[in-house]
Amino acid sequence: MYPVLYAQFIKDKRKPLLVLLFIALSILATLIFGDTSRQTEITVDVFASGSNAEEIEQRWVKLLNDNSETEFVISEEREAREQVREGKRDVAIHLMNNDYRLITASDMPDILLVEQEIHQVFIEEAQLQAIAGSENTTNLREQLKNYLENSPITVQTENINGGKLTSHDMGTQLLFGFTLFIVMFTIGFRVNGINEDKVSGVWNRLILSPVSKINMYVGHLLYSFFIGFIQLVVVFLIFKYALNYEIGSLPMILTIAAVYTMSSVSLAMLIAGIAKTPEKFNMIYPSIVPMIPVISGVYMQPGAMDNPVFNFLADIFPLGYAVDAMMDVALFGAGWSDISLPLSFLLLIGVMYMGIGINLGERGKG
Amino acid sequence: MLETVKLSKSFKGKKVVDEINIYLDAGESVGLLGPNGAGKSTTISMISSLIRPTSGDIKLDGKSTIKDPSEIRKVLGVVPQEIALYEELTAYENLKFFGQTYQVKKDILEGRIQEVLEMVGLKERQKELIKTFSGGMKRRINIAAALLHQPKILILDEPTVGIDPQSRNHILETVRELNKTSGTTVLYTSHYMEEVEQLCKRVYIMDRGKIIASGSKEELLSILSTEDTIQVQLSNRSESLIDTIKSFSNVFQLDETNVGLRIISKKNSNLLSKLVLASEKEGIQIVNYQVEIPSLEDVFLHLTGKTLRD
Repeated sequence: MYPVLYAQFIKDKRKPLLVLLFIALSILATLIFGDTSRQTEITVDVFASGSNAEEIEQRWVKLLNDNSETEFVISEEREAREQVREGKRDVAIHLMNNDYRLITASDMPDILLVEQEIHQVFIEEAQLQAIAGSENTTNLREQLKNYLENSPITVQTENINGGKLTSHDMGTQLLFGFTLFIVMFTIGFRVNGINEDKVSGVWNRLILSPVSKINMYVGHLLYSFFIGFIQLVVVFLIFKYALNYEIGSLPMILTIAAVYTMSSVSLAMLIAGIAKTPEKFNMIYPSIVPMIPVISGVYMQPGAMDNPVFNFLADIFPLGYAVDAMMDVALFGAGWSDISLPLSFLLLIGVMYMGIGINLGERGKG
Repeated sequence: MLETVKLSKSFKGKKVVDEINIYLDAGESVGLLGPNGAGKSTTISMISSLIRPTSGDIKLDGKSTIKDPSEIRKVLGVVPQEIALYEELTAYENLKFFGQTYQVKKDILEGRIQEVLEMVGLKERQKELIKTFSGGMKRRINIAAALLHQPKILILDEPTVGIDPQSRNHILETVRELNKTSGTTVLYTSHYMEEVEQLCKRVYIMDRGKIIASGSKEELLSILSTEDTIQVQLSNRSESLIDTIKSFSNVFQLDETNVGLRIISKKNSNLLSKLVLASEKEGIQIVNYQVEIPSLEDVFLHLTGKTLRD
């Protein structure tokens, strides 16, 4: 087993570029897409028309900015419309005394968010006006604020363990998602070494040697595991200590990473067993792998993927289980018992795919 | 030492090796000759325990190797037809790798690597990557890798396919030396007749999965003892002259070649005088008339009706 493992290492030592490229790609993809999702603040131009335009603008902009995440900026009507027309802004708002109009050129997801925020502010203001019986709601608003500070009933929200409720962080999800997705390529191309050896005749030479077939497989698969796991460790360490990402308990994250790597090696072995030749593997594997994070919902908020077929398909791949477990550890401080179920699924996938893959690879021989 | 008994192999119902019997005595150099697709590689794969025969047996010193191939694997060195090496590794690293897999003891492995490199004439290039080698050099390392554990039987499956004459000579010389000095038993398969003629004392001729002839070179040539092969070059081609020659009672076969006619006739049938008369009648001159010394190629042609490279 050792000579097989060592030979694979020497091969990679001669061509380290691919492994380094995949490590760089993991970091780059997370930084680009992860940070984009973190910077969700949207700027929206607002304007009013008519003789009391300035008054309307001042009144509503203050209320809007005080009560939402979006930044509302007063601008000229012509300029605001121009920005939307040229695609520089997704939406602009035409403010009226007690109403508003959205000016949009495309159906962007941001528009829905902005619309919800504005709607909320206008409804609230309308309710206050109705209670106050006039358009001046400043005093009522102040009274309401004081009342709520000492309200008879207070509602506190906490997580299942009694801690602070953490909001979902897409940046962290993408960090785990991209890293675990890209490592599948590193692993796959190493596992394909088995097919390469079979085609080149090296495998037959090894069969005739005293090295057992089990050791031949173990040599290849163990090396694929190590190279994949090392890549994950390097990426996670860089994010934790160099880029200061909060990824939770490192030993737990690395345990999940190790089990995930093992099941990814098995998945690659299954595809290698089906493909039988390195060329076919290179065709099939890179076609399947990019679909896995999509159907596993890695690029989306939790629960966004509600198609039962996709959900079933996601369940037969290891990525979804690993990302969920890592997110539980990173965001909700999950313990060992909390992650034992996804780890069990990963192990099950690993054992099953490994068995089927090796069996398929060995079939069809005289 | 090694023998196959009614060895057969079928793939999807098609028999590619059909009840062949081969034997190799210790220290012998035996050729397995046949055109592409004759079943040579399948036979070798079965002998070397890489694939299981459909029926028949393989015996090493009288003991069947089918159920437990470990004994035959210990004494066997197989040089596959393909270049079974890691291209990204140097010649030395490849040999070290295969030496380790063959469990050559650490203290003697280094010495063996240098010995086999010397044998194949690539000692000076051992630190270079295989991918930078020519086809011939790769094939020489391919052979070296099979020699590290000092096998008693060396099986070479077309080891000279597609290489330059210099490397080819080197390989033939290496195999000859191994057989002569170390007493290694050699089973050499090829579709190059001249290689087998040079190297092997005994030859098996295989076609369509069957052994169609076997014996020493002399024994095989004696198959043609009743025939002469004559090359004739004429001043002009004449269809009527060809028909006349074909009608001669002692002519068995007539083929047109790029230099003239190739006639297989009964031995000592005095064809020349008849040919002179017939060509004079047609007004055609005989430029060249040559009775060929038969080769194994002729034997193969006689037995199968086709050449080895068909």
